[in-house]
Amino acid sequence: MIWPYFLKKGAFGFLFCIFSLFGSSTWNSVLAQDDLLSLLDEEQSKEPTYTIATFKASRLINGHTIETISKNHLNFWISHRFGAVNSGFIANFFGLDEAKIRLGLEYGLTDRWLVGAGRSSLEKTYDLYTKYKVLRQSNTMPITVTAMAGWGINTMPTGYVMESGSTMKFNNNIERYSYWSQVLVARKFTEKLSLQLMPTLIHINKVEDPSIPNQLFALGAGGRYKLNQRITLSAEYYYSIREFEDEDDEDDFETNGNFPYPYRNALSLGVDIETGGHVFQFHLTNARGMVEKQFIGQNVGSWGKGDIFYGFNIARTFSLDKAARNTHK
Amino acid sequence: MKIKLIFLSLSLLLSTGLVSAQSLYRTAVGELYFFSKTPVLDIEAVNKKTGAILNASTKDLAIQAKITDFQFPNKLMQEHFNENYMESERFPSTKFAGKIKEDIDLTKPGTYPVTAEGNLTIHGVTKPVKVKGTIVATATALQVNFSFQVRTADYQIEVPKLVFNKIAETIAISGKLNLVKQ
Repeated sequence: MIWPYFLKKGAFGFLFCIFSLFGSSTWNSVLAQDDLLSLLDEEQSKEPTYTIATFKASRLINGHTIETISKNHLNFWISHRFGAVNSGFIANFFGLDEAKIRLGLEYGLTDRWLVGAGRSSLEKTYDLYTKYKVLRQSNTMPITVTAMAGWGINTMPTGYVMESGSTMKFNNNIERYSYWSQVLVARKFTEKLSLQLMPTLIHINKVEDPSIPNQLFALGAGGRYKLNQRITLSAEYYYSIREFEDEDDEDDFETNGNFPYPYRNALSLGVDIETGGHVFQFHLTNARGMVEKQFIGQNVGSWGKGDIFYGFNIARTFSLDKAARNTHK
Repeated sequence: MKIKLIFLSLSLLLSTGLVSAQSLYRTAVGELYFFSKTPVLDIEAVNKKTGAILNASTKDLAIQAKITDFQFPNKLMQEHFNENYMESERFPSTKFAGKIKEDIDLTKPGTYPVTAEGNLTIHGVTKPVKVKGTIVATATALQVNFSFQVRTADYQIEVPKLVFNKIAETIAISGKLNLVKQ
């Protein structure tokens, strides 16, 4: 008689009592403030904390970084590469008499996806690109990975003389196109040090000589080291691996080709200075081009010969967010 | 009858257990506002993931917010806030641990002006503070509102001369916490 009654009404109540007794004693022990804090800590630490500011800007020196810009933000880039430092004082004021210029805009479609466009005075090239942050470094993810793809059109008159000295003739507009894509992999190792690898594939629809391959693979490596909150040192190197149809082609260039193989790997060293809404990047580089096709694919400058160009990039970020306009007067 | 008595005493025990459990009020989505005003620039940010727990019986109060959860309308400012001023990788969160001084019964509905005394940690620096606010108590929740000022220099937050006229020396912090009975 008693057993079924106990089972029916009491078992749950009984168990509940036991549990709540147990429960109340644990609660009583967490009354202190610090224990309350650790309860909060437990809850908040479940969410991943994403690493921010692996790099100061969306460009390292010539090439891209893994950084994208925030949604509805607009970046305006002004980049200059002056003449070579070995171009003489009287003739060229050590290069400062002239500059190649790239003007660029990039816009954040989302916090992880941007689109950009630019126009360079070198080979009068227009470029378009898009960049998407695929993986973000956090307390659970060791690296950030960004994918980038771009397209460029050379709008020089046909029959112009290239940097390499060759004459380039275009028969149609398709021949003026070039394409590039990159997978950017970076890790912010410490607050100060971030390193990046950038495998790159470039295709140039028309090159000056049949012996020069249209397609090239390059492996880039770069990084930054923050000296303090405002000043950062940076470096960037692109090593190109060209797919020569005939393995002897490269040697031929050096020994008995029509001309020595004209293109070299780009090494750039820079200093970034950040002041509020601006980033100033000053650098020395042997590459004068500011689009991937030029500084990775068709760079003629050589550090050894003194073809060193001073340059700077200035980035200004604008927030086009409505909410921002109200607070950011 | 005997059984009923046992149940009665057990349920009494149960209810005391529940009282201490239910005296905890908690939120994970409290709002914390940051406001810096100078003639040149107004900067405003909000953290909508502020965690807070209040124990109504002992009046202990703990508040914690992640620095990276502060949202600025201008993301570049947000990055600078984290990178240059708050150094959020070294000091990921700001905390308050303290006690409400007034002798009030928060289980009774009403509006109470309160003062909380305790330790505030910002940028890795802990200082004793006294914060005034109000608590609106209902049967199931406590709405806590407070505001106070902090001097950036007190918490070793360095503002370079270059941007001195853009960032106020004294920052206004206010909070809105809707703590729900557990």
